[in-house]
Amino acid sequence: MAGPPRQTCPGQDGRRTGVAQLSLRGIKKRFRTTDVLHGIDLEIGDREFVVFVGPSGCGKSTLLRLIAGLDPITDGQFFLNGKLMNEVAPSRRGIAMVFQSYALYPHMDVYENMAFGARLMGLDKPEVERRIAEAARMLRLDELLQRKPRELSGGQRQRVAIGRALVRKPDVFLLDEPLSNLDAALRSEVRLEIARLHREIGGTMIYVTHDQVEAMTLADKIVVMNAGRIEQVGSPRELYESPANTFVATFIGSPRMSLVDVTREGNRLNVPDGGSLALDALPQVPALKLGLRPDAVSLHRGGGEGFEAQVVYTEYLGDNAYVYVRLADGTVLAARTAPNDAFAPDAPVRVTLAPGAAHFFSAEDGRRLVP
Amino acid sequence: MPQLRMTGRGLWITVLIVPPLAFIALFIVYPILSAFAYAFFDWQGLRRLDFVGLENFHTVLFVEPYRSWTLNAFRNNVIVFFALMVLQNGLGFLLAYALWRELPGARFHRIAVFLPVVLSTIIVAYLFKLFYHPLFGVVNITLKSIGLGWLAQPWLGQGGTALWALIVAQAWHMVGFPTLVFLAGMQRIPGEILDAARMETESEWVKITKIVWPLVAPSATIVFTLLFVGAFNWFELPYIMAGLDGSPFGSTDVLGLYFYRTAFGNVSAGQQDFGLGSALAVLIFLFIAAIATVITVRLRAREIQL
Repeated sequence: MAGPPRQTCPGQDGRRTGVAQLSLRGIKKRFRTTDVLHGIDLEIGDREFVVFVGPSGCGKSTLLRLIAGLDPITDGQFFLNGKLMNEVAPSRRGIAMVFQSYALYPHMDVYENMAFGARLMGLDKPEVERRIAEAARMLRLDELLQRKPRELSGGQRQRVAIGRALVRKPDVFLLDEPLSNLDAALRSEVRLEIARLHREIGGTMIYVTHDQVEAMTLADKIVVMNAGRIEQVGSPRELYESPANTFVATFIGSPRMSLVDVTREGNRLNVPDGGSLALDALPQVPALKLGLRPDAVSLHRGGGEGFEAQVVYTEYLGDNAYVYVRLADGTVLAARTAPNDAFAPDAPVRVTLAPGAAHFFSAEDGRRLVP
Repeated sequence: MPQLRMTGRGLWITVLIVPPLAFIALFIVYPILSAFAYAFFDWQGLRRLDFVGLENFHTVLFVEPYRSWTLNAFRNNVIVFFALMVLQNGLGFLLAYALWRELPGARFHRIAVFLPVVLSTIIVAYLFKLFYHPLFGVVNITLKSIGLGWLAQPWLGQGGTALWALIVAQAWHMVGFPTLVFLAGMQRIPGEILDAARMETESEWVKITKIVWPLVAPSATIVFTLLFVGAFNWFELPYIMAGLDGSPFGSTDVLGLYFYRTAFGNVSAGQQDFGLGSALAVLIFLFIAAIATVITVRLRAREIQL
């Protein structure tokens, strides 16, 4: 059997692998007659930790598989370091992937699982051993090298899957929902682990999740996707503080941002039959959607300025509490309050806003409005 | 003493199990045991004579001409086994891989490949006998029409090609079976495992030998065992295509034909010897049972839990 030609193996001297600059231009994907991605344009810089986040079926995993080369790109171009990758085989892209199910080879032990790809790259034996030893040390796999995947716990399999990607020293790491098969306690642990790995290895990582907490905690850059399109690209802070539209606004942040349909008269916002509120800077449109996060909302007992509301229930979380209230038009808002600030169910309250904390969106298409 | 009560469920199980057990006892266990018994007696026609101990076994194994006949038939069975291993199981594996990868037309071929398995052996045998006909057979006519007339020959009529002609017919007939079993085995492999392999190599050869093949080991065990049993019990197809004598000149003789001839006689020899036939049957049975056990045990050991 003729072995595959030797690939260049960057990073033989140090941890750092090659530079990785990804460029997606007008990427489209169609499965038979169903359009899954409708033209994705995205630039990913070297050493960035990018998270694709969105609800199930938004196309984020599909996009990852296109980058990996596992599925063909229907239309558009994908460049890696300036080279067109559309027709390049997955194994020649310098990309490694960690799968949701880990996809370890069940008939090979941990060592063989990691050695398989490294050997196929044409590395010599000492180099393969050196890389596996290094990965095993970083991921605390030393004790497990002779075990078969079925003898490992979920967290251990996860680490082997990451190790298998590490030994290839790829330019780009792809991680497809890597935490979804772990229990909650392990999840935050492995999340820290992945963040640490990214700091240590420094490669470009693309991480797919539907969990916005993972996205917020790990990402340098979050790509929010919905129905085959990118809704917004930005740092966690940008997405949280200035979401581009109502989709991003309600997707990022927990509890979700509430949207209230209001009308504007001068500098006052009115909820139909539900009171009004004066704000300093308002977009000059007659009707809009008001976006309110729990920390933007203050509740008051008694009469005066503000929207009228009724308490629905209280979530006590120890260090604070979320009080859910219903406005006159039926919209439910969450308000963060001090933990011992008790509001009885059905009690009437007034809602006011912290200065500058409100978001405004177009009533027609949900886009962000700037006052 | 605990009372034995027949519950509704117990009754059901009894009703379902007893008939097949009785059937197996009557038509499988009893004949095997009686063959064992017959093998130790001298026979004249259907009349049992004296107890002769291992005499019959000695005769079929060491006394001419039985010795040569036994060896010849056994050798042919071995050839059939290895040839079918390559042609039937090997091809079956590759076909399964092609079907699994959903190459264009996979849907049609999935049915087409399995269709011959459903056909009766009689039909397949007569069909191929016609195909191989030296003058009107489609094989020779095709060869002549594409300018390879010098290759045309009486496939079933000469010692060098007859057995292979039968093997090809058999492989065509049954290739769908290992294909189906291997395909089922491959469909059990999680898609992400193959994706993971694709991230590391683009060589189909590496993927087949290092990933797919080890993971379909359970299918291989059953397919190998059945092929082994089938190859050493081979009877219908050579019987119909080449006759009871394994013509020409014993070149297609196999243990099944040889046993039948010896135990029940045939037109040319006219004589029958139950004792020698039973001894042969016992030897074939023991050989198949022993090797099949070894194959199963050895291959089981390398099966993998997915």
